[in-house]
Amino acid sequence: MKERKIVITGLGVIAPNGIGKEQFWESLKEGRSGIKPVERFDTSGFKCKMAGEVQDFTPEDYLGTKGLRDLERTSRLLCASAKMAIEDARLNINDDNADDYGVCTGTTLSALWNISEFGKELITEGPRFTGASLFPGMVVNAASSQVSIRFNIQGFNTTISTGYSSSIDALKYAIDFIKMRRIKAVLVGGVESLSLANYTGFYRLGFFAGINGEEVSCPFDKRRNGIVLGEGSAVIVIEDEEDALERGAHIYARVNGIGNCFEPYRIGKYHPEAIGLKESIKGAMRNSELNKSEVDYISASANSVIVQDRLETKAIKEVYGKYAYNIPVSSIKSMIGEPFSAGGLFQIAASIGSMYKGFIPPTMNYEIADEACDLDYVANKSRITRINNVLITNYGPGGNSAAFILSKWN
Amino acid sequence: MSNSIEVEIRDMVSEILEVPVEKLAPDVDFFKDLNVDSLKAIEIVAAFEKKYRIIVPEEDIPKIRNLGQLIDYTRNISS
Repeated sequence: MKERKIVITGLGVIAPNGIGKEQFWESLKEGRSGIKPVERFDTSGFKCKMAGEVQDFTPEDYLGTKGLRDLERTSRLLCASAKMAIEDARLNINDDNADDYGVCTGTTLSALWNISEFGKELITEGPRFTGASLFPGMVVNAASSQVSIRFNIQGFNTTISTGYSSSIDALKYAIDFIKMRRIKAVLVGGVESLSLANYTGFYRLGFFAGINGEEVSCPFDKRRNGIVLGEGSAVIVIEDEEDALERGAHIYARVNGIGNCFEPYRIGKYHPEAIGLKESIKGAMRNSELNKSEVDYISASANSVIVQDRLETKAIKEVYGKYAYNIPVSSIKSMIGEPFSAGGLFQIAASIGSMYKGFIPPTMNYEIADEACDLDYVANKSRITRINNVLITNYGPGGNSAAFILSKWN
Repeated sequence: MSNSIEVEIRDMVSEILEVPVEKLAPDVDFFKDLNVDSLKAIEIVAAFEKKYRIIVPEEDIPKIRNLGQLIDYTRNISS
């Protein structure tokens, strides 16, 4: 049987620096950051005050008022992006074809808000008087399920929680479903939402920029000293190329090679050789059948963590050899913060814009070079150029890593 | 049982069910007329219990099918 080609036909995004694809792409092109002082909760007990927070999102605009009461923030973010993606792809989901569609979502920490609110009520109100409506939102697959419920999608529904690499891992899972001909189209999403619990968690682990240095997300820069946390959601619609053509869909890009890897090392520590990331990139290159010189741009996972950005640079150099110096590499996390499991989907959404509008988003806040990070990081100003193939990486200290190649269609 | 408690209960149910108070006549059936599912029903009971610091026995829950019955129930307990 001929292997199916998979294409992207729809996109919805709610990012700290832009809602909707056009606003998001424009912000990336202009180098506009969405990192600002947190409004959602009180940060006065922390040394850090900033996050890539989505502040101007009104869910009613996308989802109406009915049913919002029981929809926690994560589900609101994901459902609104899903709505944009469905409309963008012009999918017509109805009772007759509901089984042809699936939902696959990358998210890991997004249920923490409800979990901690419920815990608080348990203690302050007592077990008999806890709010029952908080409970459904306490599971990690709540948001993904809400998308299926709201848009009548009945094919399958899966949540992938592999931390930093959840987005690309979710994409890979969805691709396999289409390749096995078990589904026609999948809404692949990534979502995380800021909460006092996850902010505190990362802070207590010493992961934040600002604890030992300047509070800034400056990937690859010598001043980098940790992440600025981000949030938001992005959803793409992927489907078989033939199906897309048959229904006259607009095609953004082609899903090319993909690779992922788990390298067991130590909890919260990076493997010093970045074996998993290298394997993931090699895997993506292998099944894309591209030559090194055909990679026009690398959308890096670099998040301003001292070790991560150095190791990512090292992995790129070891896979691409001397040619690595010819490939522009940038990190949009300098503008949106570290959105954790949603990061990969933001990078994909950004890269679709790169192809479509012909630009490479800059690595903002880049001022002081670090000898361990010596590639072309597209510092502070976007670069106008034609892009045919983008390598997108997802990487972190959890042991999971993934890489994905997005290619121009036709 | 004062009138203000009736208003309180009506407003609480209206908020949970996302139904305007005008549509919440005392005899409108939660399940048949307002599409209330089991989860919403539990939510109403939970909010009611929390507000008035009372426990509704499990066997009483199915007996409350509309706003009028909920108000009567409160009246019985408080008397």
